[in-house]
Amino acid sequence: MGLQAYLLLAAAVFAIGLFGVLTRRNAVGILLGIELMLNAVNINLVAFSRFNGDLAGMVFALFTIAITVAEVAVGLAIVIVIFRVRKTVEADRLDLLKG
Amino acid sequence: MTLALTALALPFLAFVLQALVPPLRRSGRGAAAVSIVCVGGSLAAAARLWLAPLGAPLVRRWEWIPADGGPLVTVGIYLDPTAQAMLVLVTLVAFLVQLYSLSYLREEPAPALGRYYTYQSLFAFSMLGLVLAPNFVEMFIFWELVGLCSYLLIGFWYERPAAARAAVKAFWTTRLGDVGFVIGIVLLWRATGTFDFEALFGLAEAGRLPAGLALTMFLIYLGAVGKSAQFPLHVWLPDAMEGPTPVSALIHAATMVAAGVFMVTRAFPLFAVVPEVLTIMAWVGAFTALLAATMACVENDIKRVLAYSTVSQLGYMMAAAGAAAPSAAFFHLLTHGVFKALLFLAAGAAIHAVGSSDIRQMGRLFGALPQTGIVFLIGTLALSGVWPFAGFFSKEAVLSAVWDGHLVGPFLMLALTALLTAAYMFRVVFVAFFGADRAGGHPHDAPPLMAIPLWVLGFLTVAIGVRVAVAGGETHHPRGWLTALSLGLAGAGIAVAFVTYQWRVISPAALARALRPFDWMARRRYGIDGAYAGIYRGIILGFAWLIGWIDRYVVDGLLNALSAGTLSAGDLLRRIQNGRAQDYVYGVACGLLALLVASQIWR
Amino acid sequence: MTLETAGFWGLAAVLLAGSLAVVLTKNLFHSVLYLAGALVATGGVFLLLDAAFLFGIQLLLYAGGVVTIVVFAIMLTERLVGERIRQTSRRLANGAIVSAAVFVGILMAVGQARLPTERPPLAGDVTRGLGEALLTRSVLSFELLAVLLVAALLGALYFARNDD
Repeated sequence: MGLQAYLLLAAAVFAIGLFGVLTRRNAVGILLGIELMLNAVNINLVAFSRFNGDLAGMVFALFTIAITVAEVAVGLAIVIVIFRVRKTVEADRLDLLKG
Repeated sequence: MTLALTALALPFLAFVLQALVPPLRRSGRGAAAVSIVCVGGSLAAAARLWLAPLGAPLVRRWEWIPADGGPLVTVGIYLDPTAQAMLVLVTLVAFLVQLYSLSYLREEPAPALGRYYTYQSLFAFSMLGLVLAPNFVEMFIFWELVGLCSYLLIGFWYERPAAARAAVKAFWTTRLGDVGFVIGIVLLWRATGTFDFEALFGLAEAGRLPAGLALTMFLIYLGAVGKSAQFPLHVWLPDAMEGPTPVSALIHAATMVAAGVFMVTRAFPLFAVVPEVLTIMAWVGAFTALLAATMACVENDIKRVLAYSTVSQLGYMMAAAGAAAPSAAFFHLLTHGVFKALLFLAAGAAIHAVGSSDIRQMGRLFGALPQTGIVFLIGTLALSGVWPFAGFFSKEAVLSAVWDGHLVGPFLMLALTALLTAAYMFRVVFVAFFGADRAGGHPHDAPPLMAIPLWVLGFLTVAIGVRVAVAGGETHHPRGWLTALSLGLAGAGIAVAFVTYQWRVISPAALARALRPFDWMARRRYGIDGAYAGIYRGIILGFAWLIGWIDRYVVDGLLNALSAGTLSAGDLLRRIQNGRAQDYVYGVACGLLALLVASQIWR
Repeated sequence: MTLETAGFWGLAAVLLAGSLAVVLTKNLFHSVLYLAGALVATGGVFLLLDAAFLFGIQLLLYAGGVVTIVVFAIMLTERLVGERIRQTSRRLANGAIVSAAVFVGILMAVGQARLPTERPPLAGDVTRGLGEALLTRSVLSFELLAVLLVAALLGALYFARNDD
């Protein structure tokens, strides 16, 4: 299988994740979509790394995974706080930053 | 050379001392003493210089603004017989005026007196610098200094609105001419590459001046029109009477108005190559002379009569210059300087005694003020052109030059002016010094400090005339019929004044009725002042209104539109910020799409 | 049909199906389970790309760690609300159009690029190489990552703690 196949697979996962981010009402659901998108990126990084014979991409993928973990932890903590204060986690209603 | 520099430096020294040492200035009399001593020293230096005959012009230059290919602008001294004579006149009149002022202004508070003498010193320095200037740039600098000083002195009583207005009027009116002057100087430099008189005269003598200088010289002549109060920029001079009378004497005799004629005389070799400008100069001069003379006939303010007579005599000088006789013009400038200073100072003494400058308030002053009366009569005879006073010879020289120049129109105007001059001057004499006694109080003769300058000037007026009559002046070529005509005109003028105002065979009112249109127009100053006021109101105020309108509606409107636009744009953008994270993600996705599309288009 | 091709298609099918299930399922809890499946499939893709170490990390951190945290979060919010969180979607058409457009855009970009079809031979052990890279060239980033994780941990604790 060539690089193209991996990239297309990643693109498809990315689009699906984007779709989730755009359509989910629940904040946790949105976070799940973001996870998918980040995975797609990781696939790209690893695929490029392997096909170009350069380990830098894999190092990047490692970092991405670690950062994602941090992001999920903080993101979920925020979700829980919001839930406590506003009794909802629907993204529509969270518009305190409205201009 | 040292003497010339001394004459120039002393008044400047006085000015610097007075300006930089406030206690000296505020002491009043101390400042006056410094001024008078310094200008007296200048007078001595100038007189000593005058006694030494001079062959070629004495020139000394120092580099000022260096430029590639030699010094572009220099400062220095240009001394020739014209400058020598002018130095004596300026220092003499300045000295006598300062002496006279000490008595005339003795009731002024000390700081004001100090201020007056500070200005006087600067005025003397500026005028001497102008006389000695070796190039147009230096001349222009002193020229403007002279204008500044006359502004300051005319507005000496600045708390009087009329004086402040007159000062501003003098400044602005002369400034109009100066704009032409400075443009002309620069144009001349462009054409010839030098400001230097000696170099320019050399070019003119060799006939190597570039062609097409008419406009340039006309612009330079405009400077003289403003300074020497030629029509139509003469309006400031009568108003300048708001200053103290000694200042009027100084301005009219030796400094401000003399600057214009002096400049034309100085630069005459350049004017000589443009006959068109000379013709204009002659006609404008003669017309100014006649116009001012008619206005002098209907004035009742003694200083204003003298002011119009100055305008009229300046017209004479300019006409002579226009007739290619700068020596006649300069001769008249000198003699006029002496007897006009005399007339003003004598008039000042009369005003001082009576407390008013209206001749109708005077009368039979001759009995009360015999000294003043005699010297005023001497000045009047000189101004009217009666033999053997100084004015007779210089006026005859002017008329002769204009006749030789085949300028029939100007000649007729000047001849008529001579008649009118005698008439209006003797009108003043008869009404103010003889006639019915209408003077209130007990007028007393001038104190010695005022009398001495009067007698000195009176003596000089007679002495110059007698000397020329005996020895024959260099500019005086007797011509029988012209002498007769001059004397006849003067006599006729005096006779008219006598018959009307002293003998009262004809009543002045009847005369006025007979010449009603002229009387009517002259009383309104031919509408020239009105025209300026109209121009001011119509154009300048209209322009100001237009600017105001533009500012209010266009500029402010633009700003208002800008701020309103910013507000509404902000309002529109605010709606995009709805605070929903998912809508922002839409934005990010659309941005990504746009990037993708763009990368497809510009690959 | 080599083993790799077969593996790729198999994993791709699982990954795509799992992803779609994540974004479409109504039940949030199921959604998380599907996500775990998709993440494991991604790990399989890494294995196909000779990145065994990353496969391990993916299983441990993502499929293990992240999914566990999310499940905990869901549990917590459910307990707080006291009912099962039904997960609904909105503006499905809009989302689908934009996502499809992005996919097509990437597709075109990838299709036009000249990409290698053969992978170069491995130069030594990948895991060893990664380890060396992390402790030599990228050591500073690696240490900063540790700082980031500590900060995230503290931040999460700060947010999630009870006020009392």
